[in-house]
Amino acid sequence: MSRFFQYLFDGLSSGAIYSLLALCLVVVYRGTGYLNFAQGEMSMFCTFLVWKLNDWGMPLWLAAICGMLIGYLGGATVETTLIRPVAKRSQFAVFVVAIGLFLGLNSLAGAIWGAPPQETMPSLFPNEPEDFQRIFGASWRYQSIGILVVGLVVTGLLFALFNKTRFGLAMRAVASNADSARLVGVNTGRVLAASWGLAAAIGALAGTMVAGTTGEVVPGLMFSYFVYASAAATLGGFDSLGGAVIAGLTIGVVENMAAGYAPKWIGQEMRLGVALLIILGVLLVRPTGLFGEQKVSRV
Amino acid sequence: MALVTIKRNSPQHIAIRVLGVLLVAIAVLWVPTKMTTGNIDSMTNALALVIAASALNLVIGYTGLISIGHSAFFGIGSYATGVLVSKYGWGHGWSMIFGALLAFIFGFIVALPALRIKGIYLALVTLAVAVLFPTMMKWPKLEWLTNGARGISGIRYEELPSLPFLGELKGRDDRTVFFYWYAIMLVIITVLVCRGIVKSRMGRALIAIRDNEIGAEVMGVNLATTKTLVFGVSAALTSLAGSLSVARTGVVTADGANLTLIGSIVFLVVMVVGGAATITGPIIGALVYVWVDNYTRTASASGDGLIGWLFDWSAVSPASIILSVALIVLMFVAPDGVFGLVRRLARRVAVIK
Repeated sequence: MSRFFQYLFDGLSSGAIYSLLALCLVVVYRGTGYLNFAQGEMSMFCTFLVWKLNDWGMPLWLAAICGMLIGYLGGATVETTLIRPVAKRSQFAVFVVAIGLFLGLNSLAGAIWGAPPQETMPSLFPNEPEDFQRIFGASWRYQSIGILVVGLVVTGLLFALFNKTRFGLAMRAVASNADSARLVGVNTGRVLAASWGLAAAIGALAGTMVAGTTGEVVPGLMFSYFVYASAAATLGGFDSLGGAVIAGLTIGVVENMAAGYAPKWIGQEMRLGVALLIILGVLLVRPTGLFGEQKVSRV
Repeated sequence: MALVTIKRNSPQHIAIRVLGVLLVAIAVLWVPTKMTTGNIDSMTNALALVIAASALNLVIGYTGLISIGHSAFFGIGSYATGVLVSKYGWGHGWSMIFGALLAFIFGFIVALPALRIKGIYLALVTLAVAVLFPTMMKWPKLEWLTNGARGISGIRYEELPSLPFLGELKGRDDRTVFFYWYAIMLVIITVLVCRGIVKSRMGRALIAIRDNEIGAEVMGVNLATTKTLVFGVSAALTSLAGSLSVARTGVVTADGANLTLIGSIVFLVVMVVGGAATITGPIIGALVYVWVDNYTRTASASGDGLIGWLFDWSAVSPASIILSVALIVLMFVAPDGVFGLVRRLARRVAVIK
């Protein structure tokens, strides 16, 4: 039973990261209708900035906030200068620009920082070997608890932003019908830029926490996390915030259980296979995800 | 307004086409006879990219199905050749055919979700495939077949066949020349297959799907068969490029060049830079890509010229940075790629009617 709780808890903790990244994808998708393939690389780049600021002597929490601010500005800039002009042309053009960003940020990070020495990225939370609490026979590391709490708090804030504020109302209006929103006086451009910025800022936070768990920042930091996050967004339905969170946590738990209970067959290496199977299965059976809305197209 | 108007199939038009074919033939012959061994090797590398990007072009350029999983098909070809030649003593040719069949089946399966989903969702499935493939090859359960993370080495042509015109081939230089011709043969096959598909009824069906899927279905295009078939063919062609690369280098590892997600992106860059939905585009794109790659590598290493000066601070080659910037800039100024740009400029001078 203690094994079960251990896997459950570890799964929730990694699921919290997937949820955060999936939220980024959903926030962008709801506003603009496309998937930001560069999301993982954007958060990786911000994580490098956080690491560098910390390296220069800034306290980590302050560095993380700076990283999020830079992420916000960067995300908004990318939307206004690169994405919006080509979005008029085709979805494929947006995809190509996103892939360009992916490759560019990835190689830029590699060129500027190379591979930093391992074990240099501190964690936002206490992360000494003795920093854990035993509950139900499972060790609950403070770091994992911290990630889970941060994930839930950010989700709560996002919900409040979307449902309680004027800006959230504008965002929902743009998501449901951009043209009508513009007609009633919503500044759609600003809303879109803000949703990209918001997604990039959350991504920066998620990246910082990911790097904190392993202690190293590398250009490939977010590859697998991005796949998990897109699996979560697919499972939850690309236009549902709540769906993304629930699906992210579910995927985290399922892959940890699968890896834990079938160490020979799945183990650490094939965890990603679980995410792939989830993507494939969901898309084959229910392409809109569990909480997504069916889209009807007019000929 | 164009300066000159040329009638289709008039003597002038035929003369231009013959001249074009002659120029290409001269270029193809010039490479192995006049270039240094290192450059011939780079050209062979470019030809492998031509194959992969042309195959990707069938799926993305013509059909509008976005895939970033083609590195996995490249990997299937690589591993099929690697395993069959080194462990089971197959010939290179047979291993290549087997790899292509395997990739066809695999591509067919990957395309199944495409029947129900569109655009970005298919890209997600292919993304997962691309990320999963290297992991799968390093899976301990498959170690008996793939040698895990160490990969397979020593997959060489034991003795080069003696070819007509070229005579007996010996040594490192002749080996390079041999693989160049080997690659040319595969490129010709690929271009003929792509051209055959695009100019046929099937090609028109593909373009109809890209431009208006519902419209295509109404007009009697069988979406399921067409989509899965073109994905399978594209996967099989990509696996040829994988087999070729392994035959050339003699090694295959799960994280090797073009087998990871970055490989898929490279194919995409080649296709977009050259010009999507054209037969010539991927060829130009691959040449540009390999040239930029080689040029920036040497320039940044020696610190020469503008590139060397600009990227003096960088320890690694700035090739991918330059290419990604080029990709984004191209989307703004010339969404049809280099070939599209050239064609547009050429039409100012002469129009073929």
